[in-house]
Amino acid sequence: MTADAGPAAAPPSLAREVARARRRRRQGFLKRLFGHPSFLIGFMILAAFTMTALLAEWLAPYGPTRINYRAILAPPSAEHWLGTDGFGRDILSRVIHGTQVSLRIGIYVVVLTGIMGTVLGTLASYVRWLDALIMRGLDGLMAFPGVLLAIALAAALGPSETNAMIALTVAFTPRTARVVRASVLVVQEMQYIEAARAVGAGHGRIVFRYILANALSPLIVQLTFVFAVSIIAEAILSFLGVGPPPPAPSLGNIIADGRSYVQEAWWIAVFPGIVIAVAVLGLNLMGDGLRDVLDPRQRLGRDGH
Amino acid sequence: MRPQLQQSGLFRAITVASVLALSAGALGAPAALAQVQGGELVVVQGSNPPSLDAMVTSSQASRNINMNMYETLYGFSEDVRPIPILAEGVEISDDGLTYVFTLRQGVLFHNGKEMTSEDVKASLERYRVVGATANKLDPVREIEVTGPYEVTFHMVAPTPTFLESFSSPRAPAVIIPAEDAEAEAGRTSLIGTGPYRFVEFVPDSHVTIERFDDYTADTRHDGVDGFGGRKTAYLDRVIFRIIPEPGAQVAALEAGEVHIVEQMPMPAARRLADSPDITLYENMPWAFTTFHLNLNVPPTDNVKFREAVQVALDMEAIMAISSEGLYQLNHGWQYPGTAYWAGDIGAEYYNLGDVDRAQELLAEAGYDGETFSILTDPNIPQHGRAAVVIAEQLNGVGINAVINQVDWPTALSIRLQDEGWNGWTLQMGIEPYLGPVGTIATLTSPARPHFVVPDPELDALYQELISGVTLEERQETFSRIQARMYEIFASIKIGDSGLMQAGRANVQGFIPFRFPRMHDVWLEG
Repeated sequence: MTADAGPAAAPPSLAREVARARRRRRQGFLKRLFGHPSFLIGFMILAAFTMTALLAEWLAPYGPTRINYRAILAPPSAEHWLGTDGFGRDILSRVIHGTQVSLRIGIYVVVLTGIMGTVLGTLASYVRWLDALIMRGLDGLMAFPGVLLAIALAAALGPSETNAMIALTVAFTPRTARVVRASVLVVQEMQYIEAARAVGAGHGRIVFRYILANALSPLIVQLTFVFAVSIIAEAILSFLGVGPPPPAPSLGNIIADGRSYVQEAWWIAVFPGIVIAVAVLGLNLMGDGLRDVLDPRQRLGRDGH
Repeated sequence: MRPQLQQSGLFRAITVASVLALSAGALGAPAALAQVQGGELVVVQGSNPPSLDAMVTSSQASRNINMNMYETLYGFSEDVRPIPILAEGVEISDDGLTYVFTLRQGVLFHNGKEMTSEDVKASLERYRVVGATANKLDPVREIEVTGPYEVTFHMVAPTPTFLESFSSPRAPAVIIPAEDAEAEAGRTSLIGTGPYRFVEFVPDSHVTIERFDDYTADTRHDGVDGFGGRKTAYLDRVIFRIIPEPGAQVAALEAGEVHIVEQMPMPAARRLADSPDITLYENMPWAFTTFHLNLNVPPTDNVKFREAVQVALDMEAIMAISSEGLYQLNHGWQYPGTAYWAGDIGAEYYNLGDVDRAQELLAEAGYDGETFSILTDPNIPQHGRAAVVIAEQLNGVGINAVINQVDWPTALSIRLQDEGWNGWTLQMGIEPYLGPVGTIATLTSPARPHFVVPDPELDALYQELISGVTLEERQETFSRIQARMYEIFASIKIGDSGLMQAGRANVQGFIPFRFPRMHDVWLEG
């Protein structure tokens, strides 16, 4: 059964044909995606957010932890565009650097959740006897609301950026694993999988080359949501004091610093709040766009008009 | 300002005045004041009292409440002298080896029983076992009941500072009924002799106390004097509400839901300075802002390194930020203008912010980038804010300072470990108030010094301080203590911070003190 030759490869002309069709489909998909107004707006917001984070060192007018006791709680001015906090630190600089923390946590959580979710989801569906074991375990985790679980874990592990990432990954993995499991279950019943098996492809090849490659799109959509939720959840954790410890700036802990001064120095809490709101809006718009484009029923509905 | 309200207020005032006039008897009536009997006053504070068993805790959150319910034999007057409260007085033998305390007669506990010398002995014996500062009774060899209203202390050795440390409110040696003497820490029936008595404690919500109508006022005084004096409870009930969030505390005050905020954030105080509804009470100085180093672990085990930390710090920046602007610079380990103020000793090391010299000292110390972990907490806001500024300044001279911010109880347990931290930010509130003995006791044996490893020379100076016979001798010793502090750089004095309190304008008679005194306070209108 273990034929190691390449009879699985299709004749060259057919392969070229398949590749071309695939490219065409992808181009059409991207065109539709960027033609979708809310996706485009969301994408631009997120791009701006990302660029701010990447260019923080150059964009921020001051160091994010630079203390100036002569400018405590200074209102927005030409010198400090968004004012200063109780340490005389420049809010603009802190917000800019804060986006870096959000983005870093968002990316790590997406990558880790993606890996964990894919491994667990695929194992659960591909290795039958593991299914019940893994899924019941994940159901147990899912019994807790995601953010609440993350808060509990972060509080138990202690405040640090790494621990916040771990906590969020644990909180978001079960849902992702479910999505992966569901689509792998569908894909692995496809005829081409059977065909691959028939020509003697090994488990590794079947899983990576055929099953996962075809089960990826729901995962990508899921991960964009994980990214969005991570940014909010990181802000929540930091606000509660279980995110990155001081003096590191993060959108959540800047707001936390400002909450005692809402009446005297509204700018501390308001500006990072606006940034979070806009970032979340951007991610939601992107998510809406993706859903519209990917959901065949909605597309049919619109095309029918 | 409706007429009925005014009328009823006036009526109550007249009633109180006449009651006072009757009870005051020969002493003459203080009836001219328009005190109002009754009402419910709400004080807000940030944290739960760790215990309402007054002996076992030295926490401010407990003291705020407990000192309204309990009393001691001796306590501090307004100008920090020991005065008799439950005692009639004390007679000290010439050799300093016997203290004969006579008790006031007719003082009732909240359970209606009269306080006698048996209760006093039982309370103090309990204090030896469960008291948070039980070592203040170490100089006492034996407590003997020598009459129904007389207790005699037999001392181990003459201790000239004994009465002062015995009067300390830090973890007060309060008098409770003899029936509670066997109770474990925190298991008493919460009965005392104070003007208010315990009603209920709902953790994370509130503590309620109510007026004790059979309170036996100390008629030797005309009015309140520090922890003692003649106390009169006007309010029916006092509720100590626990609200951790300072912003919420201020909002509650502005809305009139609470009457007194025990610790008012300075920006809010500045905003409300002109408000007709709010009265501000400034307490200055209130506490030392200090930074304690762990002498047991590198790099802080090296005195050169510690000196580098001392000269690197810009105290003005730390104080301006940590106290939100209510501070005074002070290098001394006593407040300026007090009896033990040691002048300029050490001032040459203070508030330097000298980067070059700090870096030279670091090179001398052979420092190579080891982590300098600063232990702090967000619950006492000055701690966390000071830590952030200190870390920033130390990073500026090349010290790899990191902040380990945990909650206050965790910080307290970590700092009791020999390892795992290098620096610890601490507001010392009550100790400097108690004078040099109270302050230095926390830095020397037999207690565990805040900087972990005892300094034999400082320990010897402390012994000299507590046995110094005359004030001049003790002042001289204290000067050498302060000089020693600036040789070992084990605990760093950052500055003196103040405490801002605020009340609704209708709170009358409130005089800020080391705890919110709820007697002789009344609500108008």
